[in-house]
Amino acid sequence: MEGFLEPFPIIENVIQKLVSLKFDDYIVSFVKDDSSQLRFADNQFTIAKNWTSATLKIFGVKQQKTVSTEINNLTTDVIDNTLENLGKLAIALPINDNYLGISEGPFSYPTIEQLIDPKYDDFHSKAVDNVELAINTALEEGAKRSAGVLYWRKIEEIFLSSKGATTQHSKTSYEFTIRSFLDSQTSGQGVSVGCISDSINFEKAGRQAGEIAKLSEGGGEGKPGKYNVILSPTVAADIIAATPRSANPFSVEIGFSWLKDKIGEKIGPENLTVYDDALLPNGLGSKPFDDEGHPTGRNVLIEEGILKGFIHNTSTAKKANTMSTGNAGLVSPENSNIFFEPGNHTLDELMELSKGKPTLYITSNWYTRFTSYIDGIFSTIPRDGIFLIENGEIAKPVRELRISDSMLNIFKNIKMLGKDLTQIKWWEVYVPTFIPSILIEDVNITSATN
Amino acid sequence: MESFPYELVEKTIEYGQDLGLPYIEARLVDLSINSTILKNGVPELGSLDRSLGIGVRVLREGGMGFSSFNNLTLDSMKKAVDFAAKMAGEIGWRRKTKISFSDENVNVAKYSSKGDQNKRPLDVEPEEKLDLLLNFDKIITEVKTASIPFRFFMSLDETEKKFILTSEGTKIESEIDRVHLYGLITAVNSTTGNMEQVFLQKGKSGGYESYDYWKMEDYIENQVKILSKIVTEAKPAPKGKIDYVLGPSMIGIVCHENQGHPSEADRILGREGAQAGESYLKHEMLGQRLGSEAVTIIDDPTLEGSFGFYLYDDEGVKSKPRFLLKNGLFKDMFHNRESAAFMNTSSTSAARAIGYNREPIARMANTYLEPGDYSKEELIEDIKLGALVINFTEWNIDDRRYHSKYVGLEAYLIENGEVKNLVRRPVIEVTTPKLWGSVDAVAKESYLEFDGVMCGKGEPTQGAPVYCGGTYMRMRDVEVR
Repeated sequence: MEGFLEPFPIIENVIQKLVSLKFDDYIVSFVKDDSSQLRFADNQFTIAKNWTSATLKIFGVKQQKTVSTEINNLTTDVIDNTLENLGKLAIALPINDNYLGISEGPFSYPTIEQLIDPKYDDFHSKAVDNVELAINTALEEGAKRSAGVLYWRKIEEIFLSSKGATTQHSKTSYEFTIRSFLDSQTSGQGVSVGCISDSINFEKAGRQAGEIAKLSEGGGEGKPGKYNVILSPTVAADIIAATPRSANPFSVEIGFSWLKDKIGEKIGPENLTVYDDALLPNGLGSKPFDDEGHPTGRNVLIEEGILKGFIHNTSTAKKANTMSTGNAGLVSPENSNIFFEPGNHTLDELMELSKGKPTLYITSNWYTRFTSYIDGIFSTIPRDGIFLIENGEIAKPVRELRISDSMLNIFKNIKMLGKDLTQIKWWEVYVPTFIPSILIEDVNITSATN
Repeated sequence: MESFPYELVEKTIEYGQDLGLPYIEARLVDLSINSTILKNGVPELGSLDRSLGIGVRVLREGGMGFSSFNNLTLDSMKKAVDFAAKMAGEIGWRRKTKISFSDENVNVAKYSSKGDQNKRPLDVEPEEKLDLLLNFDKIITEVKTASIPFRFFMSLDETEKKFILTSEGTKIESEIDRVHLYGLITAVNSTTGNMEQVFLQKGKSGGYESYDYWKMEDYIENQVKILSKIVTEAKPAPKGKIDYVLGPSMIGIVCHENQGHPSEADRILGREGAQAGESYLKHEMLGQRLGSEAVTIIDDPTLEGSFGFYLYDDEGVKSKPRFLLKNGLFKDMFHNRESAAFMNTSSTSAARAIGYNREPIARMANTYLEPGDYSKEELIEDIKLGALVINFTEWNIDDRRYHSKYVGLEAYLIENGEVKNLVRRPVIEVTTPKLWGSVDAVAKESYLEFDGVMCGKGEPTQGAPVYCGGTYMRMRDVEVR
């Protein structure tokens, strides 16, 4: 095991081996990961965790046959043996007609602010107190008990490709979610995430979770029907950002997207512009290079309601007669951060705008599932606070409702965006998303029968 | 397992004991995964993934710590144990209710579930694995009754070797092969524009003999033909107060979602409150009636060849069947040793950790509705208006597992005791008590089938292989809006 965590000798050995096995192209990435987690429930810590790992990720191309391996067992024997088998696998496979190359360097890479937290090493000793601050704040707001999770993580990546990409990258991240309860059906959630610890507001997240829980007290069963809905950033990051996430050629080709043949079409209102933006300071998905070593950037997906394009790697871009957007994914292009241009309205103003129509304010949701991806028909369950809005104000909490609609409908029916731009990532939202509260008209709401 | 670093696992336990920890366990996992992706007939990627690492869990001062590492040196091990011990102590003294484990037998055992000779994952050549997928794809393209514009397959196989050692003396060694297949097929009626999709999911412990067991070629051909018929022939689904007969796939998903998840004791205790959620069930509801006499739901990890097979759980507790509902009464929960201690009971052998870098939490294994005595025809013969729903597209349920919605895929109108035309997207949107309370008859064992699927839970997510299944069951008087 000597030299186990010295990446350069391992990478050198891997490249020699790949060349000797006559791979035409290759990508090698070595990632060191040090992650920690605190989980809590019923106002008490349930477990503390730490993971350290080193992982070698290799993509190889031989006579247009594409193979990959991820090796977490970094002994020389296992690496050599796995690469031998990778070579045999490449010979055994037929040609991948969809593979059209990897990006050719050399490259210069963008500098992204606020990706490394200078206070990361100090955070370990503060994590417990920060979480307790959030729990205690939720209690002050009237919550009885809180559950949640805090991650803090540091990764270091060394990257090179046979096409001249050679680079390194380090990043820290923090993800905090708190869900507070008055009882099992009365709850609220707060989320705070970013790359820099100073950007994580534990108190605000706890206050939000506690406040929503308290406001939800006494909620009765809601009635199904058509409603205007105001989605909090947490909900919008799941079901509104699902449409720009679906602007992916791989998803389109397997029937996993509702945006086939829609480039150039108006799919949303004119006040809606959305980017995939890998350069956002403090963005959990920000990164200077993609999985081919291609420099990342800011790419418009939807401009004034019109679907302008998809994210791409080299192969999908060539197939579509366009350029890589710096979103490789070796098989499927991958989003970095989804960014919605915010509006100018406060939450109160969004409620006021919906005056005269039955309106729900939905603060959190869970379990989005599809009847059909290709036409975007789905359901999702609001959880935590749901509020009936009357005369532009919260009238009462309601429960036990489901959004059952289509992704294209709700996107088309976006009326107005708030100015409370928030970065969201949590258990239900896996792509970091910067998004405000959003008012949507005529959304179909259903409920279960007894 | 010649190169398995048993000694480091033993030293991990010794080191924890030297630190005076009241409990320490170490889990060494060696995992080999091979996968192939086929998109619209084109092989997009062949992959080989290899991992080896150790996960350590400790108790100290009523707190719990976990750490994992894959740099298998003494130094890394000590750092991992030191972290877990320090953090367990730091959070433990703050807890009002201390974490402890239920008393269980100390087990020493070795078992395996391997594929047939020459059919184990690493024995089968990549060409053979790919040929399977190419053949499935060809079957789809030969169906001409509707346009099939999108076809996607991913096959995976794995061999997982595991060695668990605890400071109490438990020592479990296992080796399990598994194969999985995922597919997504889309059919389009080019005249009407109707589109439907079917997810194909198969999973089993064992090797490539599983594909013969599944009769995959027939299965895929049948699925595509039905999908094509749905987009061309299906009529609107009936509404009003109707009866439903659910098939094995539908029963499997409702058993899993509406009764399996809410029976997880960690959810009932609130430990998953911010992620997978809590439960409509409470500890004090044990023994209460939650369904009709016809409903007995079992979860059995010991089913040989099943996707969720294990003989000892990840805390070394010997596995056994759990009766989630017994003739409609709430009987068993899924417990690991932590939740069992909180409820002053014994583990129900539900602790599963998916990977060396995950903690063992309460999970399902193989959940199914116990067969009854009826034939399928007997279930249908006195239904005036209803639907026979074989499988599903959408499944949606709240985090307390009380309000559920399922949308059928292959479904037929039942009228005056006869199965008639296909119907499109019938919706079953009912509460869990209504679901189990409306069941009045279940078909016999000869119809029993399982789906092998991955179940999601935990943070970070742990995708656990499970079986879900059943025969046929009849639901009376379901209101469809």
